[in-house]
Amino acid sequence: MELTADRITKQYKNKIAVDRMSFALTKGVTGLLGANGAGKTTLMRILCGILVPDSGTVTCDGMDVETEEYREILGYLPQEFGYYPEFTGRDFLLYMSAVKGLRKPDADQKTAELIELVGLKDAARKKVRTYSGGMKQRLGIAQALLNDPQILIMDEPTAGLDPQERIRFRNLIADIGKNRIVLLSTHIVSDLEHIADGLMIMKEGRLLWQGAWNADEGDLEEFYISKIGDNQ
Amino acid sequence: MNNEKLISQIRVLCHSPHPENKKEFFQHLKEQEMVNRRLRVMSHGEFLACQLFYIRKWTWMLSGCLLLFIIWISYRHPGNYPFALTPLLSTVILLETRRSFRWKMAEFEHAARFSLRSVILARLFLLGTVNTVGLLIVILIVRPFFSYSLIRVFLYMMVPYLTASWLGSVYERMHRTDQGMGSTMISISSSAFFAVAPAFFSQLYEERLTVLWAAAFVLMACSVTRNLREWICNMEEPVWN
Repeated sequence: MELTADRITKQYKNKIAVDRMSFALTKGVTGLLGANGAGKTTLMRILCGILVPDSGTVTCDGMDVETEEYREILGYLPQEFGYYPEFTGRDFLLYMSAVKGLRKPDADQKTAELIELVGLKDAARKKVRTYSGGMKQRLGIAQALLNDPQILIMDEPTAGLDPQERIRFRNLIADIGKNRIVLLSTHIVSDLEHIADGLMIMKEGRLLWQGAWNADEGDLEEFYISKIGDNQ
Repeated sequence: MNNEKLISQIRVLCHSPHPENKKEFFQHLKEQEMVNRRLRVMSHGEFLACQLFYIRKWTWMLSGCLLLFIIWISYRHPGNYPFALTPLLSTVILLETRRSFRWKMAEFEHAARFSLRSVILARLFLLGTVNTVGLLIVILIVRPFFSYSLIRVFLYMMVPYLTASWLGSVYERMHRTDQGMGSTMISISSSAFFAVAPAFFSQLYEERLTVLWAAAFVLMACSVTRNLREWICNMEEPVWN
């Protein structure tokens, strides 16, 4: 399976958010690094079919990202999200299962599994509005995994997680990324250091660097700063 | 309280629970992959049916109360005022379409198999159908209270309803407000207009102008359909810009 972007460009009024980016993602965890405003969120929305690029194409094994078939194998965690106020954690996951098209028995089973996996068993029947930031984030991560996605795109997934939760999340993503395409964006370099198989570095809408990453090669933070510095 | 005690208490309070059954979860995923089984998915009909339960109770209650109020006011004051209440029904429908944006669920829904478009279309269809059928039943019930024929009562009820639906949906398409205040104001204004219209344009309600109302009905029905089509086709792109 390969997710391919070919010369995609997205412009907002007088700002180019994504500038002629081309790349291909295969199985494994790819980290998307970049400062705030580098265009990471716009790129991720384009890869999810939420935003239509001004030019260029995104396909997955020849399948357009705007199709239902693509969305069926996609898991997405946006940077900022909300929830309907009447929902409990369980209701939220059941609702997302329905929108993802899961039938009731599968939805019940997946919801129960994921609630346990993200450590929300005790809070599953409490209203989401009573959750802490970390609990909401874990709920967001759970919904992204509901449909056994083959492509998992997560925008700043570790935001709001405490250090313990961060480590658990990293382990989870490392396991999931073994046989799926996982793209996660962050500006916290240490989130990627030990789990990313590949890296993409963005600056001002452009792809500065893309390649395989091995944690033994050195310090990722230094590497990132050197790449950003080279470009200045 | 010393610092150590405080720190240990904070640790207990901030302890995040361990994941449970992680091995089983991955084992389950592996088994599914081995038999190459994707999760079975719902048909569009099943999706539509399940959305019925996600429309809030108070939305249904508001529609019901409004329809009952139209019956009551038609019984007590069978003038032209009952006709002015139907635009308020459109507010109930239009507000429901803003819910995903208001509660920041739109991005989740957009990236899911049934996408934001399907979610909003399903809500529009369900609420629109129930309200329209409800209004048709109300027309049959209140008809004996009026001196007009059934077709005229039908037109006088439906034209304000469709006018407010059309104007409200045009406003929502162009401005995409989170709270839906614009479409609410439009519905109230339409309602006020149709309440005072008989005083200023009494000849509008004469029998010889029924053809004009019929033409307005057809025009409004086509306009609503056309606007909804445009709205749905261009829904995603402007939302995020």
